[in-house]
Amino acid sequence: MNRRRIAITGIGMVTPLGNDVATTWLGLREGRSGVGPITNFDASGFSTRIGAEVKGFDAEAVIQDRRLLKFASRSHRFALGAATEALADAGIRPDDTTAPRWGCCVGAGMMGVSFEELKLVHGACAADGELHPAEFVSGQYSSDPVGFCRSQANAGLALVTRHFGIRGYATSVHTACASGGQALGTALKVMRRGLADYVLAGGYDSMLNPIGLSGFCLLGALSTDNDQPERASRPFDATRNGFVLGEGAGFLVLEEWNAARKRGAHIYAELAGDGNSLSSYRITDSHPSGDGPIQAMRQSLASAGLTVEDLDYINAHGTSTQMNDRSECAALRAVLGTQTERVAVSSTKSCMGHLIAAAGAIEAGVCALAIRDGIAPVNAHLEQLDPECGVSLVRGKSRPLRIRAALSNSLGFGGSNSCLTFRHPDEVADA
Amino acid sequence: MRAVKERIAITGAGIVCGAGLTVREIWNALREGRSAVAPIRQWDATTWPARMAAELVGVDNRTLVEDRKLHKTISRTDLFGLYAAGRAIEESGVLAVRSTLSDSDAAEYSDRSGVFAGSGGGAYGSNYDFFPLLTAAGGDLRAFGRELAATVNPMWLLKHLPNNVLCHVGIRHGFKGTNACITNHCVSGMLAIAEAAAALHAGEADRAVAVGHDAPIEPETVLHYAQAGLLAGDALRPFSAERDGTVLGEGAGAVLLERLADAKQRGATVLGEYLGSGCCNEAMGVLELRPDGDGLARAIRLALEDAAISVGDVGMIVAHGNGTQISDASEALAIGEVFSHHPPPITAFKWAFGHLIAASGALDLVLALQALRAQEVPGIATLTAPDSAFAALPLSRTAQRPRSDIALVLCRGFGSLNVATVVRANVPSPS
Repeated sequence: MNRRRIAITGIGMVTPLGNDVATTWLGLREGRSGVGPITNFDASGFSTRIGAEVKGFDAEAVIQDRRLLKFASRSHRFALGAATEALADAGIRPDDTTAPRWGCCVGAGMMGVSFEELKLVHGACAADGELHPAEFVSGQYSSDPVGFCRSQANAGLALVTRHFGIRGYATSVHTACASGGQALGTALKVMRRGLADYVLAGGYDSMLNPIGLSGFCLLGALSTDNDQPERASRPFDATRNGFVLGEGAGFLVLEEWNAARKRGAHIYAELAGDGNSLSSYRITDSHPSGDGPIQAMRQSLASAGLTVEDLDYINAHGTSTQMNDRSECAALRAVLGTQTERVAVSSTKSCMGHLIAAAGAIEAGVCALAIRDGIAPVNAHLEQLDPECGVSLVRGKSRPLRIRAALSNSLGFGGSNSCLTFRHPDEVADA
Repeated sequence: MRAVKERIAITGAGIVCGAGLTVREIWNALREGRSAVAPIRQWDATTWPARMAAELVGVDNRTLVEDRKLHKTISRTDLFGLYAAGRAIEESGVLAVRSTLSDSDAAEYSDRSGVFAGSGGGAYGSNYDFFPLLTAAGGDLRAFGRELAATVNPMWLLKHLPNNVLCHVGIRHGFKGTNACITNHCVSGMLAIAEAAAALHAGEADRAVAVGHDAPIEPETVLHYAQAGLLAGDALRPFSAERDGTVLGEGAGAVLLERLADAKQRGATVLGEYLGSGCCNEAMGVLELRPDGDGLARAIRLALEDAAISVGDVGMIVAHGNGTQISDASEALAIGEVFSHHPPPITAFKWAFGHLIAASGALDLVLALQALRAQEVPGIATLTAPDSAFAALPLSRTAQRPRSDIALVLCRGFGSLNVATVVRANVPSPS
């Protein structure tokens, strides 16, 4: 089939392992943990007091636009940082001529209002615990127009497109933990349709605040290994007890393949396929058979024109919850069949934690780096394999592996499943 | 050479807003010049800087979604989305088709049925569930964490997932195919329709429901919009000299899309066809937009090109017409630039049911089809004093007649986003 090929030519990351790609990737290769006690706020009263925080990220050093940063929330700052690195890495950015042919697709976190802003409203209009709308206009409360802008669902998209001068197709998506994957999948489709020649695509999130942490604590989804944060995230281990909440951003620069070749760009990998499905089972539960993710993986391979024989590595969603990891492994076995023993699988959430709407975008970058360096990153902290998780996990340490093609899974609350396929550039015949 | 694209039929539609719960009710309100804009009833807003909205009042939640158990786990915006999507699916008759299939064929049918949601909802009210806890904790975060589980609904996070409609449409109707949840302010619903059509063109699904839904009328939103100068004093007056802002509405719009050939083969009633769309942003940030309408003009041109039609083929335009000074003025410039001296009849609908934000485009598109089918471009009832700057545009307070069976529907939003969509109606022949 004669479809447009899409090259990944730039990567940017702000993660709990480091504030750039090099540090993050080194941390993943070495199996380091980015998890520690929560310092963003006093979490000492919560059942979970650990998280994977971004550490010491100085947005003002990266983004020389203080006015813009006023409009940027914590996760928007991560996004602007990662996007800046991705564009610099690609060595190309929109100009007056190309701007309408640049698109932007982002997976945005669900939290628009900061805890500080919520406390202001509480103090002024709901001190007794109940909202009194009249207090909004009684003079006690003063509306902050900048906070209003920050709280909009597509505020991050608006900041990124404005800062980099992107004037083509622009969209913001949210499918919980699958958001980052869905954003890249959307970017791929938009480029295949010919709507853009370049897309800056990624995801960003920060729920490491009292409300975000509360949401997951209430659901009992988080690991409570407060005494051993480093190994709290241990996907596929029999003793795993929940995920570790993280924060950060990842962005990729996508370019039409031949144009990237022509300008002599370094191509990490081809973004070769996208699949997505709905499990349509239960809002919180994944189907034990892997129904849902199975269809997403098969679609993604078909979209890339590949089969499981071509696959060498899978970056699993692998959150370290009992349910996800079992259900995902059932899906992996169903899709891989006779290739289950051969194809290497790891969850880099074992080091980074779960970055929610940013996860899929960062893990897409991880797949591109794994392909470039010929390394399957380790599934860290896996000591006692859950017998229900019988796939070929990368245990102990990262290992050299020539990766012809890789998959990345992102499976969200509510049953949104995204799977992306990446291909080694040498495997791609130039058109 | 470009391959001829598969024709996409619209075989089901569902809409709900302050003006009614059916296409017929809302259409009659438009034709008869009845507006649902009234003083806000959800709280006492008599002393507010803006006190009008088009609320959906007096409708039992069970009329929208029968399953009462579900009401506890979803938000107001989700009720609207589930209602509209359900109506569109029901009207199309696709579930009846599936029920005749064998189990394995039915499973395949479900896997080939996509869901595309354009999701909007309260950015603020969702967090108010934490007010009693904030009061109880008295400013002590430690106590906040300790008392959390005893005070806040354990399902809090799930109730406020932006992708709830996506997932519950999947669960309720057994749709399991390719999907997206777009959280891109006002253009969310319109982009959901465009992405659903693209999925059919790419062969990723055989049918898809696309739904836009929103419930923005909450105190904090009204306050912020008012203070940003976006809200009208008493009425929404698109393109009027005395226009002074928009009015918020709430509700949803949905369509069921499938290949025209499939619709004909199964003898479905075809309401119309989706012909194409264009999406551009102007890189202006969250609130600003270009006064010259550049992004909208580009989006219109892309939509006409995508639909493979020329300006002369367009029979009517449903403008975004949100009633703010700058948006209407720049929209008029964009229309004038693309259509030069011969624009077709132009109307705008928001005066009748307010601005539904994420749902606005989907609602307008369904009503555009209805207008074409009725061969009547409804007048803008609040156009009492047309702005002389728009004298060249065929705007009218009374009904006009469309020049053809094709409508261009315009949709704009925060983030300087612009989406234009082209539809053709299946005009019933006079019997």
